[in-house]
Amino acid sequence: MTDRGGIMAATGAEALSTELPAGRSTGWWGMVMFVATEATLFACLLGSYFYLRFQYGPQWPPGAIGTPELLKPLIMTAVLLPSSLPMVWAEHGSRHGRRWQLRCGLGATMVLGLTFLTLQAIEYAEKLRHFTLTTDVYGSLFYLITGFHGLHVLVGLTMIGWLLAAALSGGTIDAHRRERVRNTAIYWHFVDAVWVAILFTIYLSPRL
Amino acid sequence: MTTTPPGPRARLTGGVLLWYGVLGGAVAWAVHVVAAWGLDELACAAGSDRVLAMPLGRVVGLAVIVPALVTAGSLAVAALAWRRTARAQATGTQDRAYGRSRMLAVVGVWVNLLFLTIIVLGGVAVLVLPPCQL
Amino acid sequence: MATTSTPPGVSRVDLARLTEHWAESPSLRGWFSTVDHKRIGRRYLVTAGVFFVLAGLSALAMRTQLARPEAGLLSPEEYNQLFTMHGTAMIFLFATPMLFGFGNYLVPLMIGARDMAFPRLNAFGYWVFLFAGLFMWASLPFGAAPNNGWFAYAPLSSEQHNPGLHMDVYALGLLFLGISTTAASINFIVTALKLRAPGMSLNRVPLFVWAIVATAFMVIFALPALNLDNAMLFLDRRFDTHFFDPSAGGNVLLWQHLFWIFGHPDVYIIVMPGLGIVSAVLPAFTRRGVVGYPLIVLSIVAIAIISFGVWVHHMFATGLPQLSYSFFSAASTIITIPSGLQIFAWLATMLLGRLVIRVPLLFVVGFIVTFVLGGVTGTMFALTAFDQQVTDTYFVVAHFHYVLIGGAVFPMLAGIYYWLPKITGRMYHEGLGRWAFWLVFAGMHVTFFPMHLYGLFGMPRRVYTYASEPGWGGWNLVSTIGSYVLALGLLLVLVGVVHAVRRGRPAPPDPWGADTLEWATTSPPEPYNFPVLPRVHSLHPVWDERTAESTGEGATADRILSEGRVTLLTSELDARVERPVPMPESTLKPLVLAAALLVLFAALLVAWYPVAAVAAVVVAATIAVWLWPAGPSRTSGVATP
Repeated sequence: MTDRGGIMAATGAEALSTELPAGRSTGWWGMVMFVATEATLFACLLGSYFYLRFQYGPQWPPGAIGTPELLKPLIMTAVLLPSSLPMVWAEHGSRHGRRWQLRCGLGATMVLGLTFLTLQAIEYAEKLRHFTLTTDVYGSLFYLITGFHGLHVLVGLTMIGWLLAAALSGGTIDAHRRERVRNTAIYWHFVDAVWVAILFTIYLSPRL
Repeated sequence: MTTTPPGPRARLTGGVLLWYGVLGGAVAWAVHVVAAWGLDELACAAGSDRVLAMPLGRVVGLAVIVPALVTAGSLAVAALAWRRTARAQATGTQDRAYGRSRMLAVVGVWVNLLFLTIIVLGGVAVLVLPPCQL
Repeated sequence: MATTSTPPGVSRVDLARLTEHWAESPSLRGWFSTVDHKRIGRRYLVTAGVFFVLAGLSALAMRTQLARPEAGLLSPEEYNQLFTMHGTAMIFLFATPMLFGFGNYLVPLMIGARDMAFPRLNAFGYWVFLFAGLFMWASLPFGAAPNNGWFAYAPLSSEQHNPGLHMDVYALGLLFLGISTTAASINFIVTALKLRAPGMSLNRVPLFVWAIVATAFMVIFALPALNLDNAMLFLDRRFDTHFFDPSAGGNVLLWQHLFWIFGHPDVYIIVMPGLGIVSAVLPAFTRRGVVGYPLIVLSIVAIAIISFGVWVHHMFATGLPQLSYSFFSAASTIITIPSGLQIFAWLATMLLGRLVIRVPLLFVVGFIVTFVLGGVTGTMFALTAFDQQVTDTYFVVAHFHYVLIGGAVFPMLAGIYYWLPKITGRMYHEGLGRWAFWLVFAGMHVTFFPMHLYGLFGMPRRVYTYASEPGWGGWNLVSTIGSYVLALGLLLVLVGVVHAVRRGRPAPPDPWGADTLEWATTSPPEPYNFPVLPRVHSLHPVWDERTAESTGEGATADRILSEGRVTLLTSELDARVERPVPMPESTLKPLVLAAALLVLFAALLVAWYPVAAVAAVVVAATIAVWLWPAGPSRTSGVATP
């Protein structure tokens, strides 16, 4: 801390009156509010999972379904979580007007996201042989939660694909476009973060 | 009071502190309700009075005490912000940011008092009622 | 129309440019493609009014049936659909959209902006609301309307116990409507954060705007629970999932938890903007600001947050551990403090001010009396023991009609009379308004006060008829007579509005000598709202000469912004000028998108899944075209840094 830092300065009237947050655009706030309401939706969804699980009794998942295996979801995590990095890099590129960086970053994110969806499809193909949406409440929860998240990944990929198409079609990267990239990035990071919560809820928590 | 203007880090800390003073109690209370209610209802429904090898009563008690302390801290910050901004305004500074932060501090003080009361009332119930009595 | 004399501070050239950039063509296409928050706000008000009439007529039919024991006017099936549609429509299709209509019209005017932050999203929200309302009401003529009560408890709402389309209409209709409510809420929050006139720091924001923003935040965090609940209900009914099915590990109480996590905040979602209207109306008729501005802000914020921690008090009769009740009891008890604080602040305002008795003030007084009575019975429910005695009786019906009619309808009526001159540019007839007030007030109390009594005597709610032995007939007849008086009073309100639009004398810009910025512009406002965006120096800008100065001689080009369709972006907390931003032109895309969604939901309802898939593709394509990064080239001449 400098001589102008310190606890006295931070709790002085002037520091306390610092405007925080400030300078955000309407689009940024709109996306943040949208993500907030979506996050609440996922919170309710995962809350319902725990509610039904603990109301159900000691054996969970019920019947012959068995504790979910971990290998595939961990690979999916290893694919999806790092996909935020090229997104950050692409956003950085758009801010400095480097179109190649924007294109490469978006492309890399896109590939990782598609890999995730493919892995999820393979996992579904295996699971569907054991239980379906209608087997019991565990099946209903499993497919609703992972399916809803998969839908979000798909929406995120569509947005990224759209940005990529726009980036490839040329034109200058103006403020308007930079904002699109940033908003998509916020959404994509959110979809990533939700996956961590789902990994914990569906795959890890039955082992606790 | 320092007379030199605060540096960027002090400003950031100050801005965050003010929001802690305004909303800290609200967040602490939200955590308190979800944790205390969730633990109690789900543990009782599962037919157990222990959570992670601790007695349920004590765990729920923790879900009261920790948020109460956070709220008390938030209250203290709000009170401090109120005093500092009021004093700064009394010295004749006309910056409207002071008026705004002072109003937020006033709101913070009262709202934290409300949340502290709610949490303490919940704490009384933890002392009085056995955790799983229907 | 408004006066055409040039306002001080703006040249004729600037005015002509502003009109050129902001006016929308009066064609049919212009009608469908408008993004003007004032036109959209008016439409919200009118559409919600129509749904109010439909829901009110449902109530009259029910009261007629209940006027005497064992009447045969309605069959049980019809009665079930009517009370469900009455409740659902009043809550979802009338109360919130009506108040959002006020918000849509007034928030940009009150904060000195030229439109909402997202005008096209705003138009989209309206169309979705309209279509969702029609979607739900259209089920009634087919005998397929929701029939499970407005809170649709499982397992009665499951396919097994309630076959037919009834509850599918409910689940899909509310999901559809939820899109509109969420979109409008995000729009309100961003508008209030970023578009306030320069100088309007948080401590100078009108209380009505605080109330709308707090409401919007509640919607953001409460509505997902309802949406999830309805999605699960639809999946359970249509695709045989088991969320609410105990035989396969589901739990019916999950429905109740999720419903009331939404439902209790929703009570405040309905009432809060009403309280905001009261705070907006009072200064004009007491000739002073509302007493204790920071405390009212505190109360709004506190209620918005605490309302999320009281939901279990709707479920004190469901058999959960006593200790877990107590956390919610504590919150339910404490939330009365901020509510009471507002009431005392208004009473103090009236005591300290100089009262001007006009119709809006009468409705405010009617609101205070009615709402306090509803609040008293509300605090009684915080006692778990009492609550268990009166759950599902007419006592509850009496309570929430006092709260909702008192807390939402009376303020709305006050708001209608108060802002009618601003919205239509015409004054209403005072005598007619007073008659309407006394009929509504008397009718309301004659209808609902006896319900407390026969509720305590044991009459259950939601029964299509009752036997004569318990002796409830007399009181029910009183209620029915009261409901007709209430209906007559509301009819007079409508007559008053039509009379004002047709025959009223022209309204000046500020007929009340009020304090907020909507009165600083013409009645009705021009499409660009303000020729010069004002600079705000205090909580009561219109009573402050410096604000008038800022739009007169002190007008500067950076607040006239006549070079395009532009409004001013300011900082979140202190409203420091940041930069001018271009605003979108009128467009048909919101209507197309909403129509595609209507097809999607209708196809889901009747199980034409291929059609639903096509509609989903159209939805995605429309959004894609809407969001195609075209850049701000269409908004000419604005240098965006």
